Amino acid sequence: MKTMTCPLNGVRNISEFVCGGEVRAMPDPATGSDAEWADYVFMENNKAGVVREWWCHTPTSFWFIAERDTVTDEILRTYPAGEVFTARRDFASKEGGS
Amino acid sequence: MVRPVEYARRSFLHRRLAEHGAVFAEVAGAAVADHYGGVDGEAVGAAQLALADLSPLPRIGFKGRNALNWMISQGVRGLQTDNAVDVQYDGVRAARLAPSEGLVLCDLEAKSGTVARLAEAWSLESAPLCFLVPRADSHYWFAVTGTRAAEMFAKVCGVDLRPDRFAVGSVAQTSVARNNAIIIRRDMGHTLAYDILGDSASADYMWRCLLDAMAEFGGKPAGLSALRRLAAE
Repeated sequence: MKTMTCPLNGVRNISEFVCGGEVRAMPDPATGSDAEWADYVFMENNKAGVVREWWCHTPTSFWFIAERDTVTDEILRTYPAGEVFTARRDFASKEGGS
Repeated sequence: MVRPVEYARRSFLHRRLAEHGAVFAEVAGAAVADHYGGVDGEAVGAAQLALADLSPLPRIGFKGRNALNWMISQGVRGLQTDNAVDVQYDGVRAARLAPSEGLVLCDLEAKSGTVARLAEAWSLESAPLCFLVPRADSHYWFAVTGTRAAEMFAKVCGVDLRPDRFAVGSVAQTSVARNNAIIIRRDMGHTLAYDILGDSASADYMWRCLLDAMAEFGGKPAGLSALRRLAAE
């Protein structure tokens, strides 16, 4: 069976993981347009080459980031999300709400 | 005679255990399967391969960014390495499952008050960013004992649990028979043994699954008394 290395748990069968889609910046909730949100929620780049993706080790619900080559399906590297997201990001609330 | 239905703390699968001929005893206020007719035979069998239900025994977990710090502030030792267990002075074992999660399992004698003390000390106000995980309600707890245990696990689990590859105190959070489970190596005396914990709703499934997997090695249910005898050897 194909295997993947979880940064927390080590090498595990690929059946223990689910993919959460590519890593990309979320639109600002206060200023993002409907078009930006639609793009963020529904559209994929579907790049042929090395991509960064969210993956989850389901027995531990541990989310991490994997770099994968979509042409060869080779997993190049996995690491905790903390390597990319180093600080908490707060968003301003929308004035007046809706 | 101890009847599980008369106890608030009883096994998720006490009826299944009764079908196997379990004789229950009261341990720490709970009805536990003490033996299945003959402790001597079970202790011999458990040295080869056996499955025991420890579900009624005390255990507790904590989750959150401050969970481990709070546990340490309450006197829990260790918790420095992910997926590793530290034995406490009273025989209780504390496992670090992640940088934000810990699990505490009582000793086989269930004489330690550590689990009850932690449950008593914890509150949302007194332990900020530390949340209680009621593992005694959410998870079954079985023990798999005996020299053939790793061979049996190889049939249902992808992680290499052989004793030379998976040291005492190691933790594997993985898939067992396609169910998420936590496996902890915890030898009893000189006998190879593992704890396995998983979703309580799957307790009966996992019990039957493991008994089926161990049938070819002659594995059978064993009671708490047989395990205590192994641990004392």
